[in-house]
Amino acid sequence: MQMFRKPPEQRELELKLKLVQREGVRIRRGKVIVIKDRCKECGFCIENCPSGVLVRSEDINAKGYHYPEVVEEPPFKVCINCSFCSLICPEFAIFSIPVEEED
Amino acid sequence: MAERVGVFVCHCGRNIAGTVDIDSVVEVVGKHPNVVHVEDYKYMCSSPGQELIRRAIKEKKLTSIVVAACSPSLHLETFRSVASDAGLNIYKVEMANIREKNSWVHEDIKAATEKAIRIIWSTINKVVGNKPLEKVRGKVTKRCLVIGGGIAGIQAALDVANNGYEVILVEKSPTIGGRMAQLSETFPTLDCAQCILTPRMAEAARHPKIKIYTLSEVVEVSGSVGNFKVKIRKKPRYVDIDACNLCGECEKVCPQVVIDKEFNRGLTIRKAIYIPFPQAVPSSYVIDEENCLGVKTARCSECVDVCEQDAINLFEEEEILEFDVGAIIVATGYDLYPKEKIPEYGYGRYEDVIDSLQFERLLSSTGPTGGVIRRPSDGKIPKKIAFIQCVGSRDLQHLPYCSRICCMYTAKHAFLYKHLVPDGEAYVFYMDIRAGGKRYEEFIMRVQEEAQVRYIRGRVSKIVQVGDKLVLYATDTITGEQMKLAVDMVVLAMGIVPKTREIAEVLRIPIDENGFLQEVHPKLRPVESPIKGIFLVGVAQGPKDIQDSVSQASAAAAKAIEILSKAEIEKEPIVASVNKDLCTRCEICVNLCPYSAITMTPEGAEVVGVACEGCGVCAAACPVGAITLANYTPHQIIGMIEGALSELRPLRAVR
Repeated sequence: MQMFRKPPEQRELELKLKLVQREGVRIRRGKVIVIKDRCKECGFCIENCPSGVLVRSEDINAKGYHYPEVVEEPPFKVCINCSFCSLICPEFAIFSIPVEEED
Repeated sequence: MAERVGVFVCHCGRNIAGTVDIDSVVEVVGKHPNVVHVEDYKYMCSSPGQELIRRAIKEKKLTSIVVAACSPSLHLETFRSVASDAGLNIYKVEMANIREKNSWVHEDIKAATEKAIRIIWSTINKVVGNKPLEKVRGKVTKRCLVIGGGIAGIQAALDVANNGYEVILVEKSPTIGGRMAQLSETFPTLDCAQCILTPRMAEAARHPKIKIYTLSEVVEVSGSVGNFKVKIRKKPRYVDIDACNLCGECEKVCPQVVIDKEFNRGLTIRKAIYIPFPQAVPSSYVIDEENCLGVKTARCSECVDVCEQDAINLFEEEEILEFDVGAIIVATGYDLYPKEKIPEYGYGRYEDVIDSLQFERLLSSTGPTGGVIRRPSDGKIPKKIAFIQCVGSRDLQHLPYCSRICCMYTAKHAFLYKHLVPDGEAYVFYMDIRAGGKRYEEFIMRVQEEAQVRYIRGRVSKIVQVGDKLVLYATDTITGEQMKLAVDMVVLAMGIVPKTREIAEVLRIPIDENGFLQEVHPKLRPVESPIKGIFLVGVAQGPKDIQDSVSQASAAAAKAIEILSKAEIEKEPIVASVNKDLCTRCEICVNLCPYSAITMTPEGAEVVGVACEGCGVCAAACPVGAITLANYTPHQIIGMIEGALSELRPLRAVR
């Protein structure tokens, strides 16, 4: 009965990608900048990033904390420059800037 | 003074007289101690029949009458008005149903005659205990609630409003227009759906008497005809509809791309802030809170920053609005049958198998492809296309009923396809063509002859994708041949299912086995629900096309106006009353009352007469017998049971 299962979410993502390409809609991109040494590893940005592109790094900063790192999986798991990380960070250690897309 | 009862036995032509020996009935019933007059007549409801009752009441000084005839739902009002003319209180009139409950369902004349006598005897025992009552009068709230903003709801709202009454139009989605707004052209005249619908939408929006609430649902209804109290939950739109000037800047900056599953049925994308379609009413953007990154937590506020009108408020909360209304019109419409339930046609697995509403969007000049038919998988124009009718409908495993509109819209689809792709081939697989409507059959002929669409009578058993073609396996039931047909795209004419479950629960109106709202009488009272003051319109009541929905909407509007135009509403005085000396304040009745008509006071339970519908649940449940229903006292009920079951001596006379 497996073939009758509800389509998985991956299928929806593929459809979305196809439609995005067909319609020529650009998904806005941003770039996350982390000021590593300010981070005190509260994890707010990682928890709350709506695109889920932040992960805890293996490395530590000068104070011994695991700062956030950006891991993107295009085309959907990318920074969209919503600047939520900069809003929530208690230490002003992270922000995003818009990226001009090349055609 | 002893009760003087008159009994009037109707032959109803042969309907009753064919199975019931009327002479024996008259003879035996006359022996009841309270009966002073018995008479029979061929048609008691006819004018001479009525005159006969009137004369008897006056001449014999009758204090109660029993009319032994058909169901009281058919003629009780007739005989009540006759009694009233003759100066008798209308609650001293009872009908003994010896047709539906007796003659129609039996063949044995002797047994049916005895049963008729018992039914009448039982009814006489009740009527002698009846108290003369007066109708309860109440004011009418001159406002109408219309639930559902599709074409049926819009038409009903306009008709009521044009007669000068206020209308509250409640719609669940962000715009009114409903399913019709999604359609390309309408059969059989091929008018553009948007062109005929959007002026109506705009008219409703502009109308000073109509107030539209979108993104809203009715969550609670109490009260009764003339005085309903409704609670509406209004979800936040996050955009001020008056301030939004449709500049579209918000949409450009919104970072969230979403598949447009609602209006364009997954064929294109939109942003998290969007307008369902350009002519939407209210004409304003809306934020989809599922996908927006800013709602509630203020993560992203790009749209707020660019909005020059300051129309966007990401902190808007949902509201509960309360209104008093006099009448309610239900027009909640339909969904397509869930395609997942029919896996053999591969919908969801094969991208080029689409449903009928998706095809409407492809045909629409405002649709995702701008009116060019392109198949979803690779955007190619399909040169060979198959339409399958009755998908889900008329199938005992799925929907047992006929969805009524599919034959016509499939013909329309095939016709429009042939006009857009003149060198394409269109095949329609059908069971039967049901084109029962004005100019419908002519349209089918035109499609077959002018557009050269090939109609094949047969069911498709399965669809398999081979390369970029879809192969259909079917049997042509006219030639008996097995056939295999490779096509580029398949359109499934899905059956339609009503969206009634939630609203039926809120309004406490019954639904039938297929989920459609139940009308009082399928032929003579098709727009009325069993609860007075609630009217049913459109597909919520039964499958129907735009023409029928609109006519039904006007009919329901007329019925609603009949209530709204009255200065006072009359209510049946058959209500419960509490003997507070007996009441133990256990609150069983309070919890059971389906109309919330009973409240508990320190002295005992109290019934609110206007809200009470006289169902009798409380009287039956009261453990101490403190509650009685007017004219249904325990004494009367016992009398009725005795009349129906006990060994009555006069009955032995029946031979």
